[in-house]
Amino acid sequence: MENGIAITASNISKTFHISEDSHNTVKHRLFNLFNPPRRKDVLALKSTSLEINKGECIGLIGRNGCGKTTLTKVLAGVYPTDTGQIKINGSTMLMNLGVGMSHELTARENIYVSGSVLGLKIKEVDKLFDAIVDFAEIKDFIDTKVKFFSSGMMARLAFSIAVNAGADIMFLDEIFSVGDMKFQEKAIKIFESSWIQGKTVVLVSHGMEVIRKYCNRSAFMKFGQIEFFGDTEKAIELYKTDNQ
Amino acid sequence: MLLKILNDWFKRSNKVERLWLLAKIEFKLRYYENKLGLLWALIKPLMDIVIYYVVFQIIMQQNIPAFASYLFIGLILWNFFVESTTGTIQILNTKKYLYEYSNMNKMEIYVSTLLSNSIGFFFNFMMFLIFYNFFEKESTGLSIQNFWILAIFLNLFILALGMSLILSTIYVIAKDITQIWMVFTSFLFFLSPIFYKLTTFKARLPLFEYGNPIAGIIINARRVMMEEVPPDFQLLGFDYAYAIILLLLGIIFLNRLGSRAAEKL
Repeated sequence: MENGIAITASNISKTFHISEDSHNTVKHRLFNLFNPPRRKDVLALKSTSLEINKGECIGLIGRNGCGKTTLTKVLAGVYPTDTGQIKINGSTMLMNLGVGMSHELTARENIYVSGSVLGLKIKEVDKLFDAIVDFAEIKDFIDTKVKFFSSGMMARLAFSIAVNAGADIMFLDEIFSVGDMKFQEKAIKIFESSWIQGKTVVLVSHGMEVIRKYCNRSAFMKFGQIEFFGDTEKAIELYKTDNQ
Repeated sequence: MLLKILNDWFKRSNKVERLWLLAKIEFKLRYYENKLGLLWALIKPLMDIVIYYVVFQIIMQQNIPAFASYLFIGLILWNFFVESTTGTIQILNTKKYLYEYSNMNKMEIYVSTLLSNSIGFFFNFMMFLIFYNFFEKESTGLSIQNFWILAIFLNLFILALGMSLILSTIYVIAKDITQIWMVFTSFLFFLSPIFYKLTTFKARLPLFEYGNPIAGIIINARRVMMEEVPPDFQLLGFDYAYAIILLLLGIIFLNRLGSRAAEKL
């Protein structure tokens, strides 16, 4: 069933090397050749294997600092792994407060660039364009550089691009905290009506209701390791016990 | 069979469209953000030509035939190389928004930026053609040999891409590569036959045109554009070898160092 699998990760791990002195210039490196910087290794993700099927909505839960963000970045192909192998079938999008946008570009240009990065053709972006602008509620500022946007407008635009364009595999990190209450309601509606159908989604959240509602399988993480991967109810139970 | 596969790939993938879109936006950002707009792309080489013409032809009296055109073609090739290398050292930082949230191939960022520089080069080259054919008194006119410029420019493109990959990935671990490269380029500028007489250059630095790939590219571009002769094939072969080796090195650097850009920058 090779076709039905979105991501296969086997024995992946990730360590961050944090140096206390900033030896990031040639001068520093030369002058401190025999005095290497004090390095601290942080094992953010211990050896992990998992498989995500296409069209599945997976929950990812755990306390702060347990490695959820590192795991999503590795699975999305943004961070390279230290060990193991990862196979990603399709384009990925990582979203916490929206997709990446250039502050130097206008809203219109950002829509086209982001849409294209997410795998859409220009004609497809043309078709989605009005929906993205309407959803973001920025009709009067479409040719304004986003650096002049308020943080709310920026977040709405980024969110709107992400929900309307979408990638094959989406990693959603606490996305329901964007915008005001009215916008959040809209966000949940679009999430239910379009994303859940056909897309592969990895949902990171501290809101157990959200996880329970949308995810069939969930992973519970602790100290950089997946402690449990399977039934959502069981994962939530483990998370709650861990929080006590 | 192969054509069908390629055709399918082009139809289904948006890669080509994306490269062109990013190149156009990059070009617009560079030239349309200031009052004079695209004129800057044309004014800059002209101003350089005036300066070097005064120094080398009027004050130092080198007596190079068609010196303004000689300078023109040398300078636009050199400027393309500098813009594509010095101008892209921080590319993984400035274009982070493109790869930080998705698994987009970083190589596309480089190719689109160099494509954008190629648009600028194209405008400059058109100006050169107009200048050389209509205003240059000692012009030999158009010739079939002119078509070789395509192969020579492709050579320069690959060379600049390779260097850009190497420099910008080193930037991930050593920020002052920017200053080091600036010193190196000014050294390279004076060691390339941009404003010297070729015979003097060859006499003072024997065989150096084989050691400096930019020198070879400029020498061959002048041969095909101004002397109505084919390029020096041995030199062209050397320069392609340099460019391909540097590109391969650049790809290795991109996979080793560039892949860590999202976490290091």
